[in-house]
Amino acid sequence: MLKDITLGQYFPGDTVVHRLDPRTKIVLVLVYIVAMFIAESFASYALMLVVLALAISLSRIRLATVLKGVKPLIFVIAITAFLNIFYTSGRVLVEFWIFKITEEGIFNAIFMSLRIIMLIMGTFMLTYTTSPIMLTVGIEQLLGPLKVIKVPVHELAMMMSMALRLIPTLIEETDKIMSAQKARGADFDTGNLIQKAKALLPILVPLFISAFRRADELAVAMESRCYHGGEGRTRLNVLTMSGRDYISFALAAAVLAGVITLAHFGL
Amino acid sequence: MSKTPILKIENLTHVYSKGTPFELSALNGINLEIGRGEVIGIIGHTGSGKSTLIQHLNALIKPTEGKIYLDGKDINESKQSVKEARSRVGLVFQYPEYQLFEETVYKDIAFGPKNMRLTPDEIDVRVRASAQFVGIDEELLERSPFDLSGGQKRRIAIAGVIAMLPEVLVLDEPMAGLDPAGRREIMENLMGYHRETGNAMLIVTHSMEEAARYAQRMIVLEHGRVAMDGTPDQVFSREKELKEMGLAVPEMTELAEKLRGCGLPLEGTIYTVEQMRDALLRLGGGRQDA
Repeated sequence: MLKDITLGQYFPGDTVVHRLDPRTKIVLVLVYIVAMFIAESFASYALMLVVLALAISLSRIRLATVLKGVKPLIFVIAITAFLNIFYTSGRVLVEFWIFKITEEGIFNAIFMSLRIIMLIMGTFMLTYTTSPIMLTVGIEQLLGPLKVIKVPVHELAMMMSMALRLIPTLIEETDKIMSAQKARGADFDTGNLIQKAKALLPILVPLFISAFRRADELAVAMESRCYHGGEGRTRLNVLTMSGRDYISFALAAAVLAGVITLAHFGL
Repeated sequence: MSKTPILKIENLTHVYSKGTPFELSALNGINLEIGRGEVIGIIGHTGSGKSTLIQHLNALIKPTEGKIYLDGKDINESKQSVKEARSRVGLVFQYPEYQLFEETVYKDIAFGPKNMRLTPDEIDVRVRASAQFVGIDEELLERSPFDLSGGQKRRIAIAGVIAMLPEVLVLDEPMAGLDPAGRREIMENLMGYHRETGNAMLIVTHSMEEAARYAQRMIVLEHGRVAMDGTPDQVFSREKELKEMGLAVPEMTELAEKLRGCGLPLEGTIYTVEQMRDALLRLGGGRQDA
């Protein structure tokens, strides 16, 4: 049950998309998001759709998996579509009671929902194809220049990677503690809201204690291996940009330019 | 002791994440009967399905196939039967001290009985009795469990399950991570509980010595199947097979095998120091007679 969470899950692979430098992928996703917001015509959406399809097919991640990431947000998408259908003024198609459905409304609803879905799918492509460690390394390097204005970039990245690292451990721990308390007759499913909240106490207390214990152990383990922050620290695997990174930058620039041009001519 | 088994496991099969690429079959058609008042050691390699099996016994995991009967009744039949199974089959997980959560030792031990909706008087009796069973002094009952030592925490957690007075007490590696003295003490406490209440006990363990010393019956699991089931004598006489499964046989069995290899004709199955002594004496006696 708890193990089935897919948010931010990484699917190991050895495709062009997986091998791209994490910095490249982060930048590409940012460009993709910007382009998604600029796009507002059939032609530009079609272009973005091609980009997304290309990324998914190159990464060899099953479409069903990518679509699964959209599932938790279906409600949000539905509300967006609903509001757009009824609250856009324009040429009225159907009218009943206080509701009016306009042609523009339908187009808006389709475009807006499509935009949200494509945004989610696109950003998920980043976490699906990049391991959390590579992702933090990428973020750390991209934010590197901020060190000049005394932003603790390394510390932030380290905290992030440790948090990511602990998520599966804590989920497993929660599962175990839940089973143990169930074995003692704990009941998490019945009762009113207050009773249910109270029933969580036997899980939360041991979970917090073990999280603190783990954090403490980790800190000791790091210190005993002479960790003392990012100062003068080098990496085992230094990120290097290669041909495929430059090619993807060129493609991204072309797509962005294409979308801007299409928007400019109002196509 | 009544003739009908307290627990009957019929053709139990469990497959994790069925229908996904992560499909993993943990148990394959297990058939077992656990008699009332039996003390059983469950032994198996990591991943042999021990933990999966014991979590089925109180309906924490539902079987993919097969049935588990408690006193002749299918435990997964209804919500009520699941609840009943949880209180009649007590399960102590590995490192149970990590599940303590209450402010005082007393309250933590009382958690199980309270969930069984017993009267406060009955709860009080049970908390004190189970604290005594595991060797926790009365004066510790009002302390915070988090101030106590690891060994004491372990006992308190075990007491928390014993307080439900389960007819079958299942313990997953109850001695893991304790020093030899602590291991022995906990085992003696548990055996005391068993003698006094006559309730059945299933102990999952890696230690052959301990299983041999305390259990009347041993069940060896391999790849989700029951590979052996019998008295320690019967199981340890199949030393070669145990070794092939990657299980360590007791030191005395190992020694006996080596001595036999050197030409000493030791008789019988040997897994305790006493048996070794007797076998050696018999041998020596034989020579004197000759």
